Amino acid sequence: MRYIAGVDVGNNTTEIAIGEVSGKGKVRFLSSAMVRTVGIKGTLRNVIGIIDALDLALQPLAIQRKDLSVVLLNEATPVIGDIAMETITETIITESAMIGHNPSTPGGQGLGLGQTIGLPELAAVAADAQPWVVIIPGTAEFADAAEQLKRALSRGLKIAGAIVQKDDGVLINNRLPQPIPIVDEVKFIDRVPVGMPAALEVAQPGRTIEKLSNPFDIATLFHLDPEETRKVVPIARALMGTRSAVVIKTPKGDIEERRIPAGKIILLGHRQKVEVPVDEGADAIMAKVADVYPMEEVQAEPGTNVGGMFEHVRQVMADLTDQPVSTIRVQDILAVDTFKPQQILGSLAGEYALGNAVGLAAMVHTQKLPMQRLARKLEEEIGIQTMVGGVEADMAIRGALTTPGTDAPLAIVDVGGGSTDASVINTSCEIKSTHQAGAGDMVTMLINTELGLEDFDLAENIKKYPLAKVESLFHMRHEDGSVQFFQQALDPRLFGRVVVLTDSGPLPLETRQLLSKIVDVRRQAKRKVFVKNALRALERVAPANNIRLISFVAMVGGSGLDFEIPSMISDALQEYGVVTGRANVRGTEGPRNAVATGLVLAYAEEFGG
Amino acid sequence: MQISEELVRQIILDVLKQEQGEGKPAKRQDEQVPPLSFKELGPAKTGTDRNEVVIGVPPAFGTHMTKTIIDIPHREVLKELFAGIEEEGVKARLVRVNRTADVGAVAHDAAVLSGSGIGIGILCRGTTVIHQRDLEILQNLELFPQSPLVDKDALRAIGRNAAKYAKGEHPSPVPTRNDPMARPKYQGLAALLHNKETQYVKPGAPSTELSVQL
Repeated sequence: MRYIAGVDVGNNTTEIAIGEVSGKGKVRFLSSAMVRTVGIKGTLRNVIGIIDALDLALQPLAIQRKDLSVVLLNEATPVIGDIAMETITETIITESAMIGHNPSTPGGQGLGLGQTIGLPELAAVAADAQPWVVIIPGTAEFADAAEQLKRALSRGLKIAGAIVQKDDGVLINNRLPQPIPIVDEVKFIDRVPVGMPAALEVAQPGRTIEKLSNPFDIATLFHLDPEETRKVVPIARALMGTRSAVVIKTPKGDIEERRIPAGKIILLGHRQKVEVPVDEGADAIMAKVADVYPMEEVQAEPGTNVGGMFEHVRQVMADLTDQPVSTIRVQDILAVDTFKPQQILGSLAGEYALGNAVGLAAMVHTQKLPMQRLARKLEEEIGIQTMVGGVEADMAIRGALTTPGTDAPLAIVDVGGGSTDASVINTSCEIKSTHQAGAGDMVTMLINTELGLEDFDLAENIKKYPLAKVESLFHMRHEDGSVQFFQQALDPRLFGRVVVLTDSGPLPLETRQLLSKIVDVRRQAKRKVFVKNALRALERVAPANNIRLISFVAMVGGSGLDFEIPSMISDALQEYGVVTGRANVRGTEGPRNAVATGLVLAYAEEFGG
Repeated sequence: MQISEELVRQIILDVLKQEQGEGKPAKRQDEQVPPLSFKELGPAKTGTDRNEVVIGVPPAFGTHMTKTIIDIPHREVLKELFAGIEEEGVKARLVRVNRTADVGAVAHDAAVLSGSGIGIGILCRGTTVIHQRDLEILQNLELFPQSPLVDKDALRAIGRNAAKYAKGEHPSPVPTRNDPMARPKYQGLAALLHNKETQYVKPGAPSTELSVQL
């Protein structure tokens, strides 16, 4: 009889299963444990985490570390995903031609067309048919400004609208005899040109502007010819979705959307070589990636943004494995379309536009080396024979098969932090497996960028936990609309805020974004990465590359515990008539511990007695 | 660095110039600000309108005392708070809290009277709290403890944020500043203002509804 420990070092967690092997194929599992992985997967620092986990697992048992016969490490086809974001469009206003933003409270509503004029100059002009758009600087007090507008109106001047520097739109409008559209919070009001025709639109609450976001309406307002109309298209596009906007026609005023050369990706297959520019977007890239199969290597055009990113991935891998950079090859990528809020260059109100961007996850296969180094180190530290066990995906499927109610043929999907893996076992126990770039870390990156958080930990929390809005000190509304009441008052810092319901309590978010928007971004990011990758991975391993020929899929790994990923993947696979579920390893562990369990099982099968 | 007589002379001149510069606002303190024209509308009632924020002021506010520690006339104080609330489309109601001059208690009394449950309490010297009726008196939604740093922009933002809480939005807290020199520079003055203010407190007296001509 021997005590065996199976150890699975993952990107985020280190898992252990301890079993008692009493004969060929005879195993009794005694305990399991899980700790956070210390250091990057595959580095010597992992040893600290492994020893911790071993002690944790041995604690409830009456055996010592020295009683263990063998420690088995996962082979961990070392896969490292790195992620990068390339912006491919940028909006530049070459002259002050527009303002479009979402001040929380613009004044009045409707559409106004007139010539721009400063507030002080208003008193000097004579009443005629000319309508004016008044520019009110921050130095003017709202009551004074309203008074001056009122005087001008009583003299018979036509006032079509106003552009205000401070947050005074409603205040001024409330003091006028008739409402006019007012766009406020225009930061750089001194850059608004005077004496130019301007159109100004404020939508009613809960709506967005209609006229100024349509190039033909702008053309109608300013009597533009077809050539000029073509030029205002980016303006209209930039104004789409805002609640208030101003378009000013300056003689040279122009806005352009510049496409930044992001570089090319070169896909090298067995016999073919395909180049695809990054700025063609994720769909184009992924279509080419699917064409080129089996993939030998992915390269990037040197000297470009994407080239720099690839260089970084290879450098990290080279450092990790002590191999020269030249031997490291990127073998899979996942590209995802995303948006990045970017300040518009030359804007007047500090507006942001959502620039298009492509997020890339790259994956590198390396040699077995790092795990063997790790095994040697562990053996030195604890004085117990340590071996590198079988291929990770094979082990995972063995572990997953301990789920009650499963049998070969079975497919598993393992969504981790860096990569998405899938394997299939058929009735004759042949296993086929694949690794795909892109998983949890990429989702975090997408959430971080699309919401403009610049806080990776916060993005991670948003990914992992559901949201709620604290509506009073005694109740919160969850993102699904249900209400939860509390006996004890909540922390006043949470009052009125959108919170992330983490394990250690609610965490307030300081953002103007609506809860629904954050939920939307989170779900989209998960769909774009997890669902897409799960399908991609299953397609690779499915018989005849047809997912329909798989009947059962079990989800393993940490993401199987996520509150929405399993149902998303399950929904997507339903279309293929596939039954999907979360594995329950050994009937007790849930989706966790599959690899560690598999390692012990594999050892027992080969055990000679 | 070499210290020459020239340099010392220059530094002394600079310091003197600065001192004179700082002396100016001190002079302005003598300027009298006339009291505000309040109209008392009887005992304050609890509001039923969900769309209101109540501003609570202590007894001396705008009557015996008429400006904050940095000489913002109380008229301006109320104007900025009202403007901030109006800009968000919320109504403001003014209440005099007679029983106390403690900023937390004034703000909490205002919040209890408010139909939305959101109140602002502001002392004569400018210390401000945004309160909610379900909180304990010594808690707060937002606290602006250093009265010398409560300027007109801050007051506008306080009004705006209170209104946003009343609407059930989630505003970012008004950035609170911290000036380590505020304490040594103003502590004596603040203590005097506090003493003066508390003289007018009528313990146990009910709060009164006010209207004001600004």
